[in-house]
Amino acid sequence: MKRLLPESELARDERFVRSRIEDRVFDPRGPKVAERNTGPAKMATDRPSAGERSRSLMHGIFVGEIQALEGAGRTCYDFDDDQAPFALKLDMARQCWDESRHCEISVKLGDHMGTEIGEYTESTFLYQAACNPDPVLRLTGVNRALEGLAIDVFNTMKEFGESSGDPILTFCEDWMLADEVTHVKMGSDWLRRLTEKDPDRRERALEFQRTVDKLFSLGGFRGESDENPVQLARRFRELAGFTNEESDELAVIAKEAQAEAEAMADAALAASD
Amino acid sequence: MDHQGRVTVRPAEFTLVPFDAAHIAAAVEAAASRVGFPPDVAVELTVDEELFAPLVGSLSDVVDGRAVCWISGGNLEDTRRPRHFSEAQAAVDFALLLLRAGDRLEPGFAGAPPDAGLTLGQRAAWDAWATGRAERLGLAVRRQRTLYDFRLQHGFTDVADRVFERLWSADTLAWVDLVAACAETGAADRPPAKVPVDVLRRAGDD
Repeated sequence: MKRLLPESELARDERFVRSRIEDRVFDPRGPKVAERNTGPAKMATDRPSAGERSRSLMHGIFVGEIQALEGAGRTCYDFDDDQAPFALKLDMARQCWDESRHCEISVKLGDHMGTEIGEYTESTFLYQAACNPDPVLRLTGVNRALEGLAIDVFNTMKEFGESSGDPILTFCEDWMLADEVTHVKMGSDWLRRLTEKDPDRRERALEFQRTVDKLFSLGGFRGESDENPVQLARRFRELAGFTNEESDELAVIAKEAQAEAEAMADAALAASD
Repeated sequence: MDHQGRVTVRPAEFTLVPFDAAHIAAAVEAAASRVGFPPDVAVELTVDEELFAPLVGSLSDVVDGRAVCWISGGNLEDTRRPRHFSEAQAAVDFALLLLRAGDRLEPGFAGAPPDAGLTLGQRAAWDAWATGRAERLGLAVRRQRTLYDFRLQHGFTDVADRVFERLWSADTLAWVDLVAACAETGAADRPPAKVPVDVLRRAGDD
């Protein structure tokens, strides 16, 4: 079997449609909408398009779970034991089991909301973070950045379920959230253990995480204001081993990502006038 | 503006998405024919091409005897192929717009406020009834999707589900029936939305 599988070779059936991140970045409607007041982006039942936004996000969670499963699965296989200890692979195998369950739960939540597999496009940038050939950097990208994003997304969806009085969404997200906290904790623990005697490697891994965190903040998708659909879940991040300083740093990174996206939107709008 | 008989579509030319105003006008006419919309009533449709999925929404009013409708471009977009027009989705959304505009032409809906003045619960109840009728007309609607949207405004309760079923199956209703449905589920007791229900349309007027 091939090691280090590129995202272009991920197995999908005909229901899935792949989108490219550049299609979204260069969509001419983006700068126009960025200039408009379309109401708060934070999810709530009295916000415009609440149902459609939650369905779209749920589908994004579903494909994200598939990619998290693939990322953790690849880590079990891609490295020899001298590169990645067997105990780490065992943790990744356990994570695969969790992610598989999350995929099934997400499909059922999609049914509950009235959507279907493949109804929205799939972007594979999450998996791309899981392609790093250095196991420590990969672990940081997957278990701290990607799974950290999962904590923020699940907590946001859980709160949406609570505010809308939806017990199915609330319980499902709460259970998945508990798993994600464990996954991030595993990432934090292994990062510490594998780089105990190699501070340079640890710093490279943390720098890689900062890069991925900025990418995953998606120009304002994640943050701490009503303008951000997904809210930074500081309490659950703390439970997962993030320090307050790390959460503060992530908040700054998310703001930077939003400011950069707004600047790009302004530039694109100016160019189109 | 693009005129096709009694249907007017704005904008006449789309610049951000490859939509065609004449094609849309024909689709609206086909939807009008399918739902039995009165042939002597003019239809004015504004498509906001700046908006994309999931920023969806629509408004359907009757002004001076004309159906005046607004819809987000996101409603008409193929979610599997962003920026591309979805015939199937447009057929459903235009039917829903015209079913509700047709309701407004009936005496039983004389007391209904314009769409921008509806509560979210009233709108969800009206959409449930319209979507149920669209399904019986042979359109490919998704019941579970409408039920979820209804539950968001009326609650995830057995009472709400029973009311939904009644609305979905009804052939004839009046405005008072939709108001009564909101009272029955408790949606009428919810505080008003903090965000104007027509915020997406307002944003286009900025």
